[in-house]
Amino acid sequence: MKILATVKRVPDPETSIKVKPDGSGIVADNIKWVVNPFDEIAVEESLRIKEKVAGSEVVLVSVGAKVAQEQLRTGLAMGADRAILVVAEDGLEPLAVARVLVKVIESEQPDLVVMGKQSIDDDSNAVGQMAAELLGWPQATFASKLELAGDQKTATVTREVDGGLETLSFPLPGIVTTDLRLNEPRYASLPGIMKARKKELKEIEVGALGVDVAPKARLVKMEPPPKRQAGKKVASVEELVHLLHTEAKVI
Amino acid sequence: MPEAAVNHYKADLRAIEFTLYEHLNVEQLFALEAFSHISRDECDAIIAQCHRFVNEVTGPLNGAADRAGCTLERGVCTTPAGFKDAWKKLFELGLMAFPMPVADGGLGGPHAIAVVLEELQSGANCAFNMYSGLTHGAADVISNFALPEDRARFLPPMVDGRFAGTMCLSEPHAGSDVGAAKTRARHLEGNVYAITGTKCWISAGDHDLAENIVHLVLARIEGAPTGTQGISLFIVPKIWVNEDGSLGGSNDVTTASIEHKLGIRASATAVLNFGENDGCRGILVGGKPHMGMKQMFRMMNGARIAVGVQGLSVASAAYLNALRYARERLQGSSVRQFKDPNAPRVPIIEHSDVRRMLVEMKAKVEGMRTLCVKVALHADLAHALHAVDEAKAIYHQGQVDLLTPIVKAYCADQAFRVAELAIQTYGGAGYVQDNPVEQYCRDAKIFSIYEGTNHIQALDLVARKLQQHGGENFTAFLTEIAEFVAAHSDKPGLGAEIRALGEASAALQRAAGSLMEFFMSGKIDQVTLVANPFLEVMADVAIAHLLLGAAVVADAKRTKDEDVDDDEPNRHEVDFYSGKVMAAKHFVNFVLPAVHAKVGAIVSGDRSALDMPDGGFSTAF
Ligand SMILES: Cc1cc2nc3c(=O)[nH]c(=O)nc-3n(C[C@H](O)[C@H](O)[C@H](O)COP(=O)(O)OP(=O)(O)OC[C@H]3O[C@@H](n4cnc5c(N)ncnc54)[C@H](O)[C@@H]3O)c2cc1C
Repeated sequence: MKILATVKRVPDPETSIKVKPDGSGIVADNIKWVVNPFDEIAVEESLRIKEKVAGSEVVLVSVGAKVAQEQLRTGLAMGADRAILVVAEDGLEPLAVARVLVKVIESEQPDLVVMGKQSIDDDSNAVGQMAAELLGWPQATFASKLELAGDQKTATVTREVDGGLETLSFPLPGIVTTDLRLNEPRYASLPGIMKARKKELKEIEVGALGVDVAPKARLVKMEPPPKRQAGKKVASVEELVHLLHTEAKVI
Repeated sequence: MPEAAVNHYKADLRAIEFTLYEHLNVEQLFALEAFSHISRDECDAIIAQCHRFVNEVTGPLNGAADRAGCTLERGVCTTPAGFKDAWKKLFELGLMAFPMPVADGGLGGPHAIAVVLEELQSGANCAFNMYSGLTHGAADVISNFALPEDRARFLPPMVDGRFAGTMCLSEPHAGSDVGAAKTRARHLEGNVYAITGTKCWISAGDHDLAENIVHLVLARIEGAPTGTQGISLFIVPKIWVNEDGSLGGSNDVTTASIEHKLGIRASATAVLNFGENDGCRGILVGGKPHMGMKQMFRMMNGARIAVGVQGLSVASAAYLNALRYARERLQGSSVRQFKDPNAPRVPIIEHSDVRRMLVEMKAKVEGMRTLCVKVALHADLAHALHAVDEAKAIYHQGQVDLLTPIVKAYCADQAFRVAELAIQTYGGAGYVQDNPVEQYCRDAKIFSIYEGTNHIQALDLVARKLQQHGGENFTAFLTEIAEFVAAHSDKPGLGAEIRALGEASAALQRAAGSLMEFFMSGKIDQVTLVANPFLEVMADVAIAHLLLGAAVVADAKRTKDEDVDDDEPNRHEVDFYSGKVMAAKHFVNFVLPAVHAKVGAIVSGDRSALDMPDGGFSTAF
């Protein structure tokens, strides 16, 4: 079985993000970059399938700047077999990323594509759905459980939906996007990190794929959230109620 | 109800990166044949995985494990909740393999990077790291001295976590005086001996983390000479291991008791009885009798540096927690507004005295880290240049030998002092278990005691290391400082401090001269009287040199403060580099001057402590 998992390079959720003074984006220097946590779950799920189904191959794909090699190496260190980096130095919109992925999927012909439900930087939550639509493939998003039939021809996915769980079954090939509770990703082990260096990491220029990646929207401005104001200590409940009424105007 | 897991650990990854790559240029190693199989990218990836592991797995266990401690019931020792799972994850990650030689299934990574991995692990959970640390130490001895068949029998399971390890030197009557060990070995056949005796204080001596425990036991073969020359080293597994690696029966090693301790309470410290029923077998390491001290010394040298790194780790964790608290705790108003009763409350970090404590902790922590990485780098270079440039390799090994007692004793002492300052920074909140610093302080006290007390380190320094190679190692140490002072003594903003380092180094030389005089005139008790202060002086000079070295690098990198306004994205990089300069200056002006007082005491030749009549201490009993 061939499984394709996506890997996006995103700022570490633990780093403090600074917006450029002119609001044109975030300051990219001096921040730590990691694999998008939802993609890490996608890689883990793919590896678990590989461990169960003999002869499987896990291929990673990233669309992004050349430095995203680092995140692909992390995925390879976790145990994936090889990686493809579609080099696009400028950030692409979800639809453009979906189109690029479709090209890669068409040439790789995986049985299953596992992706993060969203990336934690832009929070678009769109690429998986768009790619499935462009391919005409079935999709199951927000997966908290993924099971394959014995013949690996169908997948059964439990989805986390408002107020409960929904179970879907669909024929492969298809696209699954991962939610937090699907699994707990493994660490890249030291032997894994050493082996990763020798694994294939192929780079393709985005221009060579012949897809329309021109942006359809324009970034107007980025702003940091307003600074938290200092709190205020009050002497009594009466004063609190009074201030909530007169100053905060919430009651 | 089990205590909720809170991770108080915080690592200073930016400071670590600076020390490794911007200051000490550890990257030079990857260009050498001996380390060509590994790259900086891979080391960085390994550090990142280790960082994640300690924050997610061992860090959250630290406080609860301290409260729970270990238990011994019906001869079975149980570690605190979560340790077993953490052990399993640690070995899945494979950190143990990092510094081990490739030939023994390791990665052969540089010690300079291993120091960082150790810092993260001990900082997050010092007690937990005892178990893996001793396993590594024991595996290292086996890797270096055991016969090939014993290496094959014991190393693979020690690298993958099925077996743990210990070092068994101490006995009730043989603590600092290891040569007094009474544990006996009677020859059975080949390299196998019957072992009988009692060892005490054995860290990780018994636990439930691994299938088996491999004890390295110092014992005296029947008829061997007395003292340290008659000591041999044995591999004594808790459960016998057959030649094909399968487990045999129990090897008659029993746990008599475990200690109730001030700190590292989740590390089981055991009294072990070997051969109570005459059924304990041990394998002579390398098949060579009477070589025990030499073989164990390898482990002890490694372990002494490891204890220094433990000191650094706990100190760093204590400092960063104190810093976080000082930024949050509001108390009092700014002294600059002392006339205004309505002046706003400020975070305590704005008070001068709190800043003084914080900068002292910062300087000491970063000084310790630089010292530990530097000594590890010397060890790596000695290893890498061994076949390439013998003279250089000898120089680097000489610095490792000279500085090992300083790494051990200085970091051990300062860990406790820094943790104590961290408590002071918190005030009352630091004294209670809601915050982690009281535990850091308790955990840190052991560092100056085990692996040879700090006085044993000081004796090693003054009686052996200073004179080693005809004093060349010490001379090379002083020359490096003299060259640094000569190169930078006119540096704007740092020149005065760099010249002060030169003066402190001159004072150190005077103290060394006095030591020589005491030796020559046969006043050996005077030498041992001033050995500890001498070590402290040399350590302060070494630390001041390293901090100033870092400051020179940082000063060149920071743009002038005035050029960057507060919102500038580069602000925290500029602050970072300024912090290096300020910490070095503070250390030189507030801490280093004590060197002159100590040297004064050393050269005075005062003998009051020695001349004191026994009854003069007190006549109370
Ligand atoms: C928590 C813990 C864990 C330990 N883990 C291990 C372990 O894993 N394996 C192991 O083998 N041991 C271990 N030890 C033992 C430790 O190494 C010894 O405690 C240490 O070597 C000191 O020996 P001692 O306690 O017998 O003190 P002593 O040797 O009795 O020393 C008492 C004091 O006298 C001083 N002193 C002793 N001899 C001299 C001298 N010749 N000149 C001047 N001063 C001297 C010492 O510096 C010290 O201040 C551990 C101890 C503890 C507390």
